[in-house]
Amino acid sequence: MEMPEFQVIGRPTTKLDAADKAAGRAVYLDDLRRPGMLHARVLRSPHAHARIVAVDTARARALPGVKAVITARDLPGRNIGFGLDNPPLKGEKVCSVGDEVAAVAAVDEDTAAAACSLIEVVYEELPAVFGPEEAMRPGAPVVHPEKPDNVSLHYHFAAGEVERALETSHAVVEGRFQLPFVTPCCLETHGVIAEFDLQGNLTVWSTTQVPFLYQKELADALGLPGSRIRVVKATIGGGFGSKLELYPFEVAVAELARRTGRPVKMVHTREEEFAASRPRTPMVIDMRTGADREGRLTVRTATCYMDNGAYNSWGAINPLVGMQTVTSLYRVPCVRYDAFVVYTNNPYSGAMRGYGNPQATFAVESQMDMLAFELGLDPLRLRLLNANRPGEVTHQKMRITTCGLAGCLEKAAAAAELPAVREEGKLYGVGLAGYLHVGGGARVYRSDGCGAQVKIDDLGKVTLVTGATEIGQGSETVLAQIVAETLGVPLSMVRVVNTDTDLTPWDVGTHASRTTFIAGNAALAAARRAKGKLLALAAEQLAVSPEELEITGGRVRVRGREGPGVPYDRVVRAAHFRTGGAVIQAAAYYDPPTERQDENYAGNISAAYSFGAQAAVVAVDPATGRVEVLKVVSVHDAGRILNPLAARGQVEGGVSMGLGYALTERLVVEQGRVLNPGFLDYRLMTTADMPPVEAVFLEEADPQGPFGAKGLGEPPAVPTAAAVANAVYRACGVRVFELPVTPERLLAAIRARGTSGGLRQATTM
Amino acid sequence: MRRDITLVVNGEEHRVTVADGETLLAVLRDRLNLTGTKRGCDQGDCGACTVLLDGRPVASCLVLAADAQGKTITTVEGLAAGGRLHPVQEAFVRHFATQCGFCTPGMVMAAVGLLGENPHPTEDEVREALAGNLCRCTGYGAIVRAVLDVAGRGDGDA
Amino acid sequence: MDFTLYDPVSISEALDLLRRHGDGALPLAGGTDLLVRIKKGLVRPRVLVNLKGIAALDGMRMEGGRVSLGPLVTLAAVAKSPVLREHVPVLVETAGRMASVQIRNLATVGGNIGNASPAADLGPPLAALDAAVQVSGAGGVREAKVADFLTGPGVCARAPDELITGVSVPACGPGERAVYLKYSLRRAHDIALVGVAVWLRLADGIIEDCRIALGAVGPTVVRAREAENALRGASVAGVPLAEAGELAAAAARPIDDVRAKAAYRREITRVLVARALARALTGKGEAH
Repeated sequence: MEMPEFQVIGRPTTKLDAADKAAGRAVYLDDLRRPGMLHARVLRSPHAHARIVAVDTARARALPGVKAVITARDLPGRNIGFGLDNPPLKGEKVCSVGDEVAAVAAVDEDTAAAACSLIEVVYEELPAVFGPEEAMRPGAPVVHPEKPDNVSLHYHFAAGEVERALETSHAVVEGRFQLPFVTPCCLETHGVIAEFDLQGNLTVWSTTQVPFLYQKELADALGLPGSRIRVVKATIGGGFGSKLELYPFEVAVAELARRTGRPVKMVHTREEEFAASRPRTPMVIDMRTGADREGRLTVRTATCYMDNGAYNSWGAINPLVGMQTVTSLYRVPCVRYDAFVVYTNNPYSGAMRGYGNPQATFAVESQMDMLAFELGLDPLRLRLLNANRPGEVTHQKMRITTCGLAGCLEKAAAAAELPAVREEGKLYGVGLAGYLHVGGGARVYRSDGCGAQVKIDDLGKVTLVTGATEIGQGSETVLAQIVAETLGVPLSMVRVVNTDTDLTPWDVGTHASRTTFIAGNAALAAARRAKGKLLALAAEQLAVSPEELEITGGRVRVRGREGPGVPYDRVVRAAHFRTGGAVIQAAAYYDPPTERQDENYAGNISAAYSFGAQAAVVAVDPATGRVEVLKVVSVHDAGRILNPLAARGQVEGGVSMGLGYALTERLVVEQGRVLNPGFLDYRLMTTADMPPVEAVFLEEADPQGPFGAKGLGEPPAVPTAAAVANAVYRACGVRVFELPVTPERLLAAIRARGTSGGLRQATTM
Repeated sequence: MRRDITLVVNGEEHRVTVADGETLLAVLRDRLNLTGTKRGCDQGDCGACTVLLDGRPVASCLVLAADAQGKTITTVEGLAAGGRLHPVQEAFVRHFATQCGFCTPGMVMAAVGLLGENPHPTEDEVREALAGNLCRCTGYGAIVRAVLDVAGRGDGDA
Repeated sequence: MDFTLYDPVSISEALDLLRRHGDGALPLAGGTDLLVRIKKGLVRPRVLVNLKGIAALDGMRMEGGRVSLGPLVTLAAVAKSPVLREHVPVLVETAGRMASVQIRNLATVGGNIGNASPAADLGPPLAALDAAVQVSGAGGVREAKVADFLTGPGVCARAPDELITGVSVPACGPGERAVYLKYSLRRAHDIALVGVAVWLRLADGIIEDCRIALGAVGPTVVRAREAENALRGASVAGVPLAEAGELAAAAARPIDDVRAKAAYRREITRVLVARALARALTGKGEAH
């Protein structure tokens, strides 16, 4: 691909806020204090399913330092969450451990906590159910009476003659894949500060990734007009999807602020973060994949049982993403997808990086290898034979424009080699997995848009006001790069404002890896308009036509003419400080040319799709079952890479999350209770555990993306578990169908298979 | 029980009245308004609260403020000198070693503590020294590169 | 956290405080276990007796073939100690594998022993080395073998009015080797799923004596005596590693918990004992 020379785009660019963060000067929510601020704590149910018989808050209210205590009947408005089945404070019954029953505002956290322990609640325990398949059985305890079979949602999609294909395929592999609870573990826990002014307007400082959606949902929950709510963001310490929704405690805190007339703050303890923030949706996926003798895929079916937990949230939408992968990753003529989103009395699942794709990809890519071995084909060849190609339209009418899947698979396979030096007794293997993910937004809501405003002031400062939210991924910096490049000014002159719903134009939120693409296109359009205005003014001042002008290095020049040109800020001043003056500000709103899915789940929901592949090199210790990852190669078609440093960071970070999913992370939930709500027993990868990660980008400019970019935020976390599981199989001939691939699980599988004859040394790919 | 103590933080003396059970982390953040040091778990498992006590990295959430009296306490706010970032901080900026930045103060302090004792660590030594600092964003690659750069062992990879 | 903190400057003052406050008082060393347990509400002492101001409880010296450590010696100090590196290197390796730098700079040897977690990493090597603790109380000073001192999960033979005032470890003499292998899912942070310490004394090409101590597979440190018996007298050329592993696994008494099932721990014990022995014999092999 021809790479035009850019001044800022494509160059390694440090993060705009890096110095502040390195110096400890970035202000996060828990660093904020408001005058007269109170602290809140929530009383949580110890039971997974119980009727609330009585709540007595008298002793709590009487505790010195307590300013307000609220329960369900003190909350106006309605339920929250997708499906509106989640009361912010539970009044009739609790449906999961951790459910919010009361909230206290007091002068400090310790007093608020002490008050909570003085609230007396009488529960009548009810039978509870803790797994989707059990919950679907007749006679299972009913979580919400509106859904007597506990099936909150059922998704179904089919294309082609599935049954015939299953019967007539040369080979069909079958498997049941089990994906556990894991959780985002942002280093910054969730938090909120709510403050009403004397006119009844509410300001909320929040860790939310989706300020505008949050604003609307909070308004509905409180029974307030949304126009009276202002959402302000501090620096956000990670989101990964968990900060995509309104939490019950946030509504309660706002109500406490209303009642006390004082600012009220609540920040999750780490234990609360583990036990009461949103985990990734656990799933059981029964999948079959078929192929003909030459290895062309013929059919793929999947039935997914999803543990939705006690309330509907973004976990209930995971199937939309999983469905895409099942129907559209690799070309499969016949497909069928069924997903049952099932209520249980477990903690309710939400959004987490990849959003249903890591789960589906684990199943799809494990089966690609299973098929390869069944057919005696090389796993890379099988994938290349069936790889998606540019210009395809999938069963669900996703229009694939740029597509580098084949190139990514080849590159990943070529770059992953078995080590030259091997330890005695260990078994080595390389595993491959590809992915497909939305790369140009995702029209899950009616709008997938983002607004931007660009102002160029008299002093040369360029301000981009964007609706997009920076959660640490570096989007702010990329947006500044886009504006600087478009305008032809130094990056150091660009500031980004993104923190206040009163100021910033609407954006649906930071999710679906959409920010570079959508917010980037909005910023690009606004910058172009601002540039147009500036050049029009300059043309007047220089007595030329605007088409003859360009801006390079911050100077307006006539194309082809020698000379130093005019500094752009001087153009602005000359236009402003005169009679009939003008200032330069321009706005744009980008809503991609995509469709929402129709009632049959068909529609091009994204303006571009990202593809890629990972290869993992592992060493298995067959005596203990321990898997050591020696290297991960992660190859991405994410269009043009606007900031190589940021892109590499997304890949290395995503892989560490993917490796955790593959090998070490599991939120242990038993009888509805999280048994390991801490970093000691919920195991994140540490510096000592991470293998070398090689990030490779096959850059082909996407026609729709800003400067050709596509999304990259989620993809690096998507195929890793599948690549590792495939590598483990290559190493020791044992396939693990359940994550994480703990040593205990692998050893049991090795033993079950028999210790001799089944374990063979790896061959190269 | 409350007591008056004097804490020397970043070279400055602070007199505070603290409860016996108050941790150094709580006093730094809530009393001295030095919010650069973060509370990640309050149980010593994540490293976000790392400060230097007599030059050694410790989990400030597990140090009683009373026990910090008479010691030299360095927090992230004490690293920059004369308006210039410390070399470790500069390296973090250069290598894109901060994303959300929440782990960064603790990570930087752990790195400074390491380099104070071992100015030219190997990559393994860097990883060992930072293994008590959790990061969910970066996968640690850029962080390790940044520290190795300061240690003079980087491969110029930025 | 809500307690009263006392800062005695002598051992007798500390003992006096413990005696006066009885069950309501606990000694505080590094705090890395105790403060966490207090924060979690697992224990609610009214009084903490802060030992860190007692200089007599710190320090390390080598004399008479033994290294004596004050209970306040931190794990970091152990990991960096030239004295221990020369005379009891297994403790240096072990300390370096515990928790994290930030914890090691606070946590103490005395605290690790006194907290008596079944998975504590110092227990097995100290037991395998036949180390002893010195315990002081109203009745005077007594010595107990570490292996006998650790009596159950979170329980040691320290009366509420006593203090651990020293740890004494025999230096590794000629022909003596000791290895501690810690098995955990991650390479840092983790509590041991299984810990295996072996100590051998080799002479004239045979194993003259050995001790195998297992951690995290019983209510306290478990000595694998049948495995030891199978090894004593064995020729270095033909050590029954596999048999020793089997016997050690049989001696283990692990439970199922959130970290691992008992059967798996037993399996790892078997493998790890064989590997620890191999490493002790050859100096090569698995380091973790």
